[in-house]
Amino acid sequence: MVDLLKRLLRTPQGATGLILITLVFIVVAFGSWLAPRDPEAMSILARYKGPSMTFLLGTDQYGRDILSRLLIGARATVITAVVATLAGTLAGALIGTVSAYLGGRADEMIMRTIDAIMSIPNLLFALLIVNLLGSGSVNALVAVAVAFAPGMARITRSVALSIRKQDYVSAAIARGESSSYIILREMLPNVIAPIIVETTIRISFAVMLFATLSFLGLGAQPPATEWGLMISEARQYMHISAGILIWPSLAIAIVAVGFNLLGDGLRDALNPRTGG
Amino acid sequence: MSKPAQNSVLQIRNYSLDYLTVNGVFHALRNIDLEIAAGEILGLVGESGSGKTSLAWSIMRYLPDNAREVGGAIRLRGEDLAAKSPAEVGRMRGKQISMVFQDPGTSLNPTLSLGTQLTEALRRHRGLTKRQAWGEGEAMLARVGLKNPTQMMQRMPHEASGGEKQRVVIATAFACNPQCIIFDEPTTALDVITSRQILDLFLDLQAETGVASLYISHDLALLSRTAKRVAVMRRGEIVEQGTIDDIFRAPRQDYTRELLSAVPQPANRLVETRPSYQAKPLMEVENVSVHYGRKPFLSALTGRAFKRFTGNRAISLTVQPGEILGIVGESGSGKSTLAKAMTGLNPFEGRMTFAGRTIAGLADMDRSYRKDVQLIFQHPDASLNPRQKIHEILARPLKLYGAGDGGSLSHRIGDLLEQVRLPRTHADRYPHQLSGGEKQRVAIARAFASKPKLVICDEITSALDVSVQASIVQLLLELHRKHGTAFLFITHDLNLVRQIAHRIAVMYRGDLVEVVPSDEIASPDRADYTRQLIAAVPALAGTSF
Amino acid sequence: MSPHYLIKRLLMIVYTLFVVSLVVFAITQVLPADAAVMMLGENATAQALDALRQQMGLNDPVWMQYLHWLTGILHGDFGQSLRTGQPVGPVMFEALGRSLLLACLSIGLMLVLAIPLGVIAAMRRGRLTDMLVSLVSYAGVSLPEFVTATVAVLVVSDWLKWLPATGYVPLTENFLDGLAHLALPVCVISIILIAHVSRMVRSELVDVLHTDYIRAARLKGLSGSRVLFGHALRNALLPTITVVALDVGYLLGGIIVVEEIFAIPGIGRQLIVAIQTRDLPSIQAGVLLMAATYSIVNFAADLLYAWLDKRIQYG
Repeated sequence: MVDLLKRLLRTPQGATGLILITLVFIVVAFGSWLAPRDPEAMSILARYKGPSMTFLLGTDQYGRDILSRLLIGARATVITAVVATLAGTLAGALIGTVSAYLGGRADEMIMRTIDAIMSIPNLLFALLIVNLLGSGSVNALVAVAVAFAPGMARITRSVALSIRKQDYVSAAIARGESSSYIILREMLPNVIAPIIVETTIRISFAVMLFATLSFLGLGAQPPATEWGLMISEARQYMHISAGILIWPSLAIAIVAVGFNLLGDGLRDALNPRTGG
Repeated sequence: MSKPAQNSVLQIRNYSLDYLTVNGVFHALRNIDLEIAAGEILGLVGESGSGKTSLAWSIMRYLPDNAREVGGAIRLRGEDLAAKSPAEVGRMRGKQISMVFQDPGTSLNPTLSLGTQLTEALRRHRGLTKRQAWGEGEAMLARVGLKNPTQMMQRMPHEASGGEKQRVVIATAFACNPQCIIFDEPTTALDVITSRQILDLFLDLQAETGVASLYISHDLALLSRTAKRVAVMRRGEIVEQGTIDDIFRAPRQDYTRELLSAVPQPANRLVETRPSYQAKPLMEVENVSVHYGRKPFLSALTGRAFKRFTGNRAISLTVQPGEILGIVGESGSGKSTLAKAMTGLNPFEGRMTFAGRTIAGLADMDRSYRKDVQLIFQHPDASLNPRQKIHEILARPLKLYGAGDGGSLSHRIGDLLEQVRLPRTHADRYPHQLSGGEKQRVAIARAFASKPKLVICDEITSALDVSVQASIVQLLLELHRKHGTAFLFITHDLNLVRQIAHRIAVMYRGDLVEVVPSDEIASPDRADYTRQLIAAVPALAGTSF
Repeated sequence: MSPHYLIKRLLMIVYTLFVVSLVVFAITQVLPADAAVMMLGENATAQALDALRQQMGLNDPVWMQYLHWLTGILHGDFGQSLRTGQPVGPVMFEALGRSLLLACLSIGLMLVLAIPLGVIAAMRRGRLTDMLVSLVSYAGVSLPEFVTATVAVLVVSDWLKWLPATGYVPLTENFLDGLAHLALPVCVISIILIAHVSRMVRSELVDVLHTDYIRAARLKGLSGSRVLFGHALRNALLPTITVVALDVGYLLGGIIVVEEIFAIPGIGRQLIVAIQTRDLPSIQAGVLLMAATYSIVNFAADLLYAWLDKRIQYG
């Protein structure tokens, strides 16, 4: 693990990504302690204030401290995105690996069906599922997970197929190894690395997708603190105080960029040839 | 010797080149002294890492950003190339010096027609119009022996064979009548017979135009038939330089001697044993065929004809216990396909009998069969799992086949490594930390872990340097002597197989042409294809068949 | 390219639409415990619920409902909107037309900007220009459309007052005004596309510039511009076609949000309204149309790619 971290820090993307995401996770874990003020505390007199010593990033339309809301809101946005991506990846990876293993006609059919489902844009698919389940954070999480599963299935399958073609897998088959050994010990360690890279990058999409759902009123519901929701609420008041809009936007951007960079960095770090 | 001789075309004096890398300065070339006169062919031989490619780039002035020219000069007809501006260099390339690369498949743009790629050089350097260039191009293609030059001009690279493409590349190189041409392993990526044809073409054109040629190759035998003088390179330095006769008959340097001795020579027989042909065969292959391809899903609907591709067509052969059976053929002959069928990687039709047991399909290949029949692959990078350490890679067959004597697992792994002349400490390393030759030794150790009766070697030395190849072959023969293992040695190197095989099987496009004892392979009684193959292989100058 | 391939691809489109129809039907009509309640709300009268069930045929077995719906669609009848009572088909198609205008303008803008950006970044690899382009790319890809749109409205409409914030004016009515209203949405959608495609172009071009054949072309003494334009670019841009086609899926999703924010009556907006008002037939039609658009665009891209790259044997 320490090894991996060292390799990550070698590239500029890996280093930046790692730093950003570490910061993000600190905020997620300790947000409530770090927040200087109560995110729910409203104050009519303190509305639309710019940055000051008491309110480091200013206040929103209800006089609530923006910084505190951002720090608390990190939890909703980031955790939802991570969990949704992991769930989608797991489901997708299972389908993709089975499809690759089955090969032949079955594989073709499964993949064509996946392709068909993927002709529905991610956002639309998520909207449909939220429509079915009802609005709310948990339902939005499920929607994002389901929307991501087909894409991950495709990627897993293509990685699994390319690994399958390698000589060391053929060597294992020629030795008469059992299928479970081949899949678990020969293929999986080599499949996991590209999947981890892809998953990390997907988290940044999940963050954006979830924020979009909340923005449209279908994800996190008020009065929850979630960045997308904050922006949606801020629209009416943004010409009075731009900060209400700008800071959550920046927060989303930083998290998304962070995961993106981290994914790129992991790509090099996890490659046994270039990373090690 | 500092003033160039009258007809000296290329002159390199005391040239040194460094690369600045993350790990410090790397001395790629040191004090290189070379000279090529008009009409002369200078051979440049060296293994990987010798710097021969760097030298070619230096002459073409195509150096990466981290290259530093430390000293010396490269002169073309007396003009110092280092003094030229980038614009001048651009005009010089293709016109005064051109280059022919190793792999015509990758050195041609796949999206442009062959004619376009030939004529663009003509238009650039000789100022011809499109029409003129096209006509000239057709004439050149005819000159390099292509039938239907008009048609060939229109073709895309993927529509032409390797040999045809290389002819086009050669035509392009000669098109502008340069002073000097560098040939970087131009036949390495081609089949044996095609190689020979390209080589003949080159000699023909060279004699006609009198262009000064630098012919780079790792193949000493080929160079001995091509060049008049040869320079031997090692680790950035020219170890020895002289005429073919001098070098080959009386090498002065140890390295040259080493290199020469590593070159496979059919007359130099390495195997003394003789298997018994009266005994029952160890492995019998009867009418084995392998087909590829699956009926497309919609072919019924659209009524499209379905063609299956045949990898092997009714192959029958036998291997005696302790015999080394060589299998030769060009790419596409089906040699690897057969190896994969025999180890259960390809489904097959027909029958095999191993040690008396019938093998009719993959299901019959049980653990004891797998234990006794092992396969070693060509590319050591791909056949060792990059995420497993060597000890895990070697532990696997030991665990699987339970060759259960002689101490703990790690001790036995150490023994395996020692058997292939590797240090015991290598067990802790990852494959990418080993060299190509070392990785292949690990692959061999893995194969021998189960003490097999038959080991199939699928082109295991083709990706290695000549000297490394020689040591691997030596290792294999040692193991052969020690364990009496039978080998199925697949290769395209006829000279090598004649040294080590008891019998040789010749394959062509999925068919087995013939199987003969190796001392009869060169006899005029052989099949047409076999004779063609033998005739195409260059043998070291000064040696006889 | 053989007729066999064309038929295969067309059948694939049919299969895709079939699967999509199943999915959307399942999610909207089959899976909900009570679709009628879902559509009319908890407080609807029993009468209204029954009437709706009759109208939509919700009491029939599932497969019958689906067949009924499917046959309707194959005849061009997408049903009637539960919200307006008007036939869904014409409304949706008209809306789609407006969205396609938006999409085409965005793709056009993207092509004009992304390709040169990618080329410059590749040529100046590792230097400042490359880093800057890279930075802008990362930022572009990391901002959801709703953020970019909202900020754009804030800056361009509220502060600078250069362009109108929301609304739509058909180009046929007033060309300039129409364009002014489209400008911001088009830019917002393009940003993500530009970021993505320029990155792709850069990476493809860098790869191509390192190939053996580019090296051979340089060593043939060809001029720099001939190597770049005649050899490198044409090979690097080919895969871009595929990427852009795949991005259309993403673009369609982005259009939904952008139309919502900028109040443009395209298919995205219709879908949002339909989802919010539980207008089942509209939802179903909208999703099908989007999926169909995506499939057709990809098909066209494949054809274009095959026509341009003679290597591909589509047999």
